[in-house]
Amino acid sequence: MTSLLGGIFLGWSLGANDAANVFGTAVSSRMLKFWTAAILGASFVLVGALLEGQSGIETLRGLTSFTYDQAIIASIAAACTVTLMTLLGLPVSTSQAVVGAILGVGLLNRQLNFAGLGKVVVCWIGTPVGGTVLAVIIYKLLAAIVNRMNLNIFQSDSLARLSLITAGSYGAYALGANNVANVTAVFVGAGMLSVSAAALIGGLSIGLGILTFSKRVMETVGKKLVRLDPFSAFVVVLAQGVTVHIYALVGVPVSTSQAVIGAVLGVGIIKGVNTIQRRTLVSIFLAWFVTPLIASIFALALDFVTHLHYIPSH
Amino acid sequence: MFKFLFKKEQQVQQLISKYLENLRMTQEHFEKAMDCYFDFGLGENCDFLIQQTHKFESRADDIRHEIIEMMYSKVLIPESRGDILRLLESIDLIPTHFETVLFMIQGQSLKVPDFITPEFRELLRVSLECCDLVIRQVEAYFKKTEDIKALVHTIDSHESRCDHMEREIVRNIFDSHLDPFEKIQLKELVIQMGEISDQADRVSRSVHIINIKHRV
Repeated sequence: MTSLLGGIFLGWSLGANDAANVFGTAVSSRMLKFWTAAILGASFVLVGALLEGQSGIETLRGLTSFTYDQAIIASIAAACTVTLMTLLGLPVSTSQAVVGAILGVGLLNRQLNFAGLGKVVVCWIGTPVGGTVLAVIIYKLLAAIVNRMNLNIFQSDSLARLSLITAGSYGAYALGANNVANVTAVFVGAGMLSVSAAALIGGLSIGLGILTFSKRVMETVGKKLVRLDPFSAFVVVLAQGVTVHIYALVGVPVSTSQAVIGAVLGVGIIKGVNTIQRRTLVSIFLAWFVTPLIASIFALALDFVTHLHYIPSH
Repeated sequence: MFKFLFKKEQQVQQLISKYLENLRMTQEHFEKAMDCYFDFGLGENCDFLIQQTHKFESRADDIRHEIIEMMYSKVLIPESRGDILRLLESIDLIPTHFETVLFMIQGQSLKVPDFITPEFRELLRVSLECCDLVIRQVEAYFKKTEDIKALVHTIDSHESRCDHMEREIVRNIFDSHLDPFEKIQLKELVIQMGEISDQADRVSRSVHIINIKHRV
C-alpha cells in the first residue's frame, strides 16, 4: 500500500484542484452548498472511474513498460511536478505531468510507444479546441430552446440551478472516467494492480481530494467563472464535461482546466466578447511543453538517485 | 415536478404578488383622496383617505422588507437577486410620490383654483393610468403573461403626455393672476404629481432591461 502513496497523493491533489472546474460555479455563487457539491462530486468521480476509467488506464500503461520501482518513480515524479508547479504558481495539468513522467521512464527503458504518445499529444491540443467548439454548439442549441420556453426569472433561476448541478455531476463523472488513469495507470503497467483495482483506488483518492481540500479552490476558481451569466456558466461546465468524457472514451487523460478555458473562449466567441486573456492561452502552451519536460527530468533524477550505491573506500 | 426544491422562490413570488396588490390598494386610496380633495377640498373625509394611503404605503414597505429578508436567505442567484431588489426599490418610489403629493396638499393647505382643476384631474388620470400599466407590466414580467415591450411603449407615450400637460399647467398657473407665492406652491405640486408618471416610466424601462438581460 505504501508504494501506492505517490499515486494516491496525485489523485488527492487532482481531486482538490479539478473539482472546481465542475462545481466551482454552483458553490461560489451559493447555488449549492459546498458539502452537497463535494459529496456529489466525489460520488460521481468514483462512478466515472469504475465504469469508464479502464480505457485511459490501458492507454497510459501501454506507453512503456514499467518495473515495480519505475512505477513508483513515475508517480512520485508526477506528484512532485504538480506540487512544484503549483508552489511556483505555474499552470499545471496532472495528465501532462503523468505522461511526462512516463516519458522519462520510457527514455530510461529506451522503449516508447510513439503511436500512443502521438495520440496523447493530439488529444492535448484537441482539448481546448474541443471545449471551444462544443461550447459554441451547445450554447446555440440550448439558447434557442431556453428562449422559446419563455421562463420568468424564478423559473429560469431554478432551471439554471438544476442545470448547474446536473452538468456538475456529469462533469465529475467525466473527470473520474478520464483522469483516474493519471493516478494509478503506472501501477497497472508494473503489474501491481488490476485495472479494476486501479480504477477503484484512483477514484477514491480523487474523491478524497474533493472532500478534504477542494473548498478554497472551488471558491476562487468558481468566482472567475461565475462572472459569466448562469446560462453561460452552465454551457462551460457541460462543454467541459462532454469534451473530457469524449477523451475518456478515446482513452486519453486530458486537462479539465484546459477544457474549461476552451469552453469559456467558445462562449466569448458567441457573445462577441473577449473572455480569455492572451496570458491564459500562453499558459496552456507552456503547460503542454514545460510540464512533461519537468516531470521527465524528475523521473530521470529519481531513477538516478535510487540507483546510487554506497561504495566504501578501502 | 421539482416544486419542493424551490419553496423559497415560490414564497418570494407570492410576496411580490402581495406587494403589487398592496400597491394597487395604495393607488386606489390615493385616487380617492385626490378626488375627494378636488371635489370637496381638505376635510375629515380627505384626511381619512390620506391616512389610509399612508397606511398602505407603510404596508408596502413592510412587504418589501420581508421580500428583501427572504431573498437574502439564499433565494435566487446574486445577480437576479440584485436585479429584483433594485426593481422593487424603484417601484416603491411610486407610492412614496403618492404620499408626498397628499402630504404636500395637506401640510400646506393647498387650494387648486377652479379654472385649473380639470387640467390637474387629467394629469392625475394619465399618471394613474401609467401606474396601472406599470403594475401590469411588472406582473407580466414575473408571470410571463404578455408582451413587456409593447407595454414599455404605451407607458412611455403616457409619460410624454404627462410631461406635456405638466408644462401646460405650469404655464397656465404663471399666466394667471394668482398670488406669486401660490403660483410657486402650485408649480411644486404639479412637478410632484409629474414625478408619478416619471417614476412609472423609470420602472417600466428597468423591467424591460432586466427582461433583455435575462434572455440568453
